[in-house]
Amino acid sequence: MKLEGEYTFDGPREQVWELVRDPDVLVTALPGAKSLEQVGENEYEGEMNLRVGPVAGVFAGRLVVSNEQPPQSCTLTVEGKGKQGFVDGTGHVNLEELEDNKTLMKYEGDVQVGGKLASVGQRLVDTASKSIIRQGLDTMNKALVARVEARETGEKVDFTPPSESEFAVSVAKDMAGEALSSTTLKWVVGAAIVIILILVLVLINQNGL
Amino acid sequence: MEDLFNVSILCNGKMYERSIEPRLLLSDFLRHELDLTGTHVGCEHGVCGACTVLVDGLPVRSCLMFAVQASGHEVTTVEGLGEPDNLHPIQEAFWEAHGLQCGFCTPGFLMTLIPFLKENPKPTREDIRTAISGNICRCTGYQHIIDAVQLAAQKMSKP
Amino acid sequence: MTKKYLGKPITRNEDPQLLTGQALFVDDVDLPDMLHAAFLRSDYAHAHLKSIDISAALEKPGVVAVYTADSMGDDWAPGPPLVSPPPTVKDVVFNSRRQVPLVKDKIRHVGEAIAVVIAENRYIAEDAAEDILVDLEPLEAVVDLEAALKPDCILIHDDLESNLAAQLVQNKGDYQAAREKADLIIKKHFVIERGAAAAMENRGIVADWDVKSQHLTVWDTTQAPIPIRNGLAARYGLSERQVRVIAPFIGGAFGPKMMMFYPEELVIPWAAIKLGRPVKWIEDRRENFYATTQERIQIHEAEIALTSEGRVLGISDQFLHDTGAYDPYGLTIPLNTQSHLLGVYDIPNFTSEIKVVFTNKVISTPVRGAGRPQGVYAIERLLDMAAKELGMDKVEIRKLNFIPPDAFPYEQNYIDQAFAPLIFDSGNYLPAIEKAAELIGYEQFLKVDQPRYRSEGRHVGIGIVAFPETTGVGPYEGARITIEPSGKVSVATGVGTQGQGHFTTFAQIVADQVGVNPRDVNLVTGDTAEFHWGTGTFASRGAVVAANAIHASAKAVRKKILEHASKHLGAPEGELEIEDGQVRVADIPRMSISLGELAELANPLRGAVEPGTEPGLEATAYFGPQYGATAFGVHSMILEVDVETMTVDILRYVVVEDCGTVLNPLILEGQIHGGISMGIGNSYYEKLVYDDNGQLLNASLADYLIPMATEMPYIEIEHQETPSPLNPLGSKGVGEAGAIPVPALFAQALENALSDYDLEIRETPLSPNRLYELLTSKG
Repeated sequence: MKLEGEYTFDGPREQVWELVRDPDVLVTALPGAKSLEQVGENEYEGEMNLRVGPVAGVFAGRLVVSNEQPPQSCTLTVEGKGKQGFVDGTGHVNLEELEDNKTLMKYEGDVQVGGKLASVGQRLVDTASKSIIRQGLDTMNKALVARVEARETGEKVDFTPPSESEFAVSVAKDMAGEALSSTTLKWVVGAAIVIILILVLVLINQNGL
Repeated sequence: MEDLFNVSILCNGKMYERSIEPRLLLSDFLRHELDLTGTHVGCEHGVCGACTVLVDGLPVRSCLMFAVQASGHEVTTVEGLGEPDNLHPIQEAFWEAHGLQCGFCTPGFLMTLIPFLKENPKPTREDIRTAISGNICRCTGYQHIIDAVQLAAQKMSKP
Repeated sequence: MTKKYLGKPITRNEDPQLLTGQALFVDDVDLPDMLHAAFLRSDYAHAHLKSIDISAALEKPGVVAVYTADSMGDDWAPGPPLVSPPPTVKDVVFNSRRQVPLVKDKIRHVGEAIAVVIAENRYIAEDAAEDILVDLEPLEAVVDLEAALKPDCILIHDDLESNLAAQLVQNKGDYQAAREKADLIIKKHFVIERGAAAAMENRGIVADWDVKSQHLTVWDTTQAPIPIRNGLAARYGLSERQVRVIAPFIGGAFGPKMMMFYPEELVIPWAAIKLGRPVKWIEDRRENFYATTQERIQIHEAEIALTSEGRVLGISDQFLHDTGAYDPYGLTIPLNTQSHLLGVYDIPNFTSEIKVVFTNKVISTPVRGAGRPQGVYAIERLLDMAAKELGMDKVEIRKLNFIPPDAFPYEQNYIDQAFAPLIFDSGNYLPAIEKAAELIGYEQFLKVDQPRYRSEGRHVGIGIVAFPETTGVGPYEGARITIEPSGKVSVATGVGTQGQGHFTTFAQIVADQVGVNPRDVNLVTGDTAEFHWGTGTFASRGAVVAANAIHASAKAVRKKILEHASKHLGAPEGELEIEDGQVRVADIPRMSISLGELAELANPLRGAVEPGTEPGLEATAYFGPQYGATAFGVHSMILEVDVETMTVDILRYVVVEDCGTVLNPLILEGQIHGGISMGIGNSYYEKLVYDDNGQLLNASLADYLIPMATEMPYIEIEHQETPSPLNPLGSKGVGEAGAIPVPALFAQALENALSDYDLEIRETPLSPNRLYELLTSKG
């Protein structure tokens, strides 16, 4: 399955880069994330705990960053495995500075899905992942804005990530047919793909599978 | 081990009290707890209709319902319709019209049709097709089933 | 002796039990101390299995055991081959690779069983299965048939040189010479996609090893209990007497339940023996899409050579057949395809090459039709295309080429799936097509109705196709009939029953011979303790082979009845008649004795049984046909297409079928209706979709679309009876007939409805989406 799009971040490129390269930020931004640890120079491993009603499961993901040309571009490779199946993906990300302190992210990737996700969720995966990426990046953008403000004012960062259910609800709304704005994304595609893992599972579970 | 729930279910006129896990499906409860194996499981995802039973008189996919949800309610399964030597008119009609072959989907059809015939005592073939469009039969091609339902309607309209 | 019951639409003996939910299916078996199994199945289509960690699963409360390939030790072995390569054809390539109980080193299709958890209940077993950690190295999946045969393609079976599972060429006459003489040659590429049987009951096994009596009882949703019993006994070092396999009521089968020695059939009995407790495994629907076999793809390069008058000189067809990850069924399906590539036509020249290809998909084994629909699709489509080129009517071109009625038995001069020369025993095609054309109003439709529909802007089309069906293959079946002291008759035969009404049709045969009411005939099928010689229910053979065995056995019992009664009543056998359970002297009704009394007398407490005779009124007989009888039929339909939604509405459907002597018309019609519903599924709704990674994308009934009542037309059936000379009853099989011609018929009718689009259909199934694509690519 091919994924491509753009997203505009409300902040300068360097700050976006920083924010996203910080696993602590990613973990708080991703509901259900138990951990996202750097295990190698460019390698992260994460665990998501997913609970929807009586169904709970752990999904283990590994993210590798390569071809880094900071703060411009890189390649991300993601492997995720869980009881619902697996996801393997590769994405290329490009950041461009825009005027008035904004950053344009362009991404394109290829995701392979297997197991229950593929056989029962296949129809949902396409729409779900686009929606998840958008929602995830919106969240990151809000975090970015809060950070930028805090730096300017010297105050503490004022950002509350959405709760697991809020996040899922907004993705579900997207799924129900809101127009997907292909807003430009930034560098969080790596995290976004991990978000894909979680939220596809959320949606799959919500659909009673 | 999850906590057990106490349930009281009136099934085919008999009251059953049991302690069960909340995640136990109604279909599994009927088949394995109550030993009423007439209700069959074809898909466990609510598409085939083989597991259809009546809950408070309305047709329900018992594979999509938890047994705890049926507590305090009345359930009717195919065993509540008739016996081999005392068949319900709809069962007689299916027999006479050859409305079954392997018989696996049949209880689900019968339970779907009981409320349907109550509301539609004189259905046309088209009405019947639509009424059973939520039940899959892989053996009969549906034609003799529709014949059976027309015959059942006739039998049931006699005073 | 009159046929009082045979041929009559008698209602079925088995229905009261089935209608009241009192019939025993495998999942209804409940034994004390029973454990439940759940399998861990692969998410990957092709991978090296590196290690399995079952420790977490074992710790779960309620889990009794977790087994992998290593646990089975020396008992681990692939399933036995189910068919051998054809011995009579030279230059055959045949690489037999069969399925394994649990994966040892390589995963070859999504859903392949890696481990099994045995627990106190199914819920716990499934939870624990998810805790098993599997370390594997994914490999590129082989999905496309043509790519699979390329020299650089990754191998599915590493000990082979390629992914070619089998290869076979068959010839009749000289196709090349015929081709040179032809006025018209048409060559086409046809694709027939994968489909599932999707019976309403998923598979299941309960195995019970009684340590004290050293006896294994297995309930199995199988079409072949006797071979399963024999195979299990051989595999686990038991005497056949120590193993009993019971196929109780089965919720539909359609072929895949004839597949033998599924991994679960190898593992569950083994686990029961090891644990000394009964073990039950019931497949769920999603598993069914991975763990139960499917059928096809086939890709054909087919060619027809004709004269300008429309006479077919020859057919050539080179085709690929997708067998999936293993090939336990060898060449059976493609040989069936070859047997049907010449249809019901007198075609003197033929060449066909089969290549069976391994892919990383679920194993392909016969599903209703078992290769016949593919052969019929090719020939009927080619004839339609030839008719169009030559400006001939589609019925006329068929009539011109029919095998004439005096040419039977018609030798095709190549071999069939039973490795015997393919011979059509009997047939009478012309009246069948004329009757079908008359019933549907073929002429009227083309001349009057269709132009009128067109003027209304409606796209309504007609189709008519003819087809043979090879049925009734051997080797043999048997039956034992016993008159009991109660006067009731008890019958046992080896074939199983999955809804075909054996309990009734067989009872009718017995009732006629033995002079009782069919309701007083109690039949047991599919229990190896009751009867243990035979093969199974498949290939439309029950009504031929088993029925004739029952007929032979019933005649033998009748003979004994008359012998005993003659002695007892002091009257010659010729003057006796049996009716309503009484043997009496014709014209002197008071000289009579009931069958029950006679049975008692035949089993003396004192005195002796004379040498050369047997006690009781019982007989066992067998029947094996010389070769399979060929049934045939003509199907015709009128359908309407909505060119905006691409939905199809079948307005009329007519069948003229000929399966020889009809045993029970009610049951016969049911079989045809059901076959047609599967045929319609295979024409417009049912397709198993695999992606490039070998992932099955529609493994649920929500996405694999089975026809519902709203997709089915009203089917009108007309019978014709051309009895088979190959068996005393004159019967032929009909179980698959409904499914065989439908894809070809659908294609023809659709093209006819959409003739203003100049559409050519060369694939099946279509779908609203696909039809839209085909129409819009025309512009």
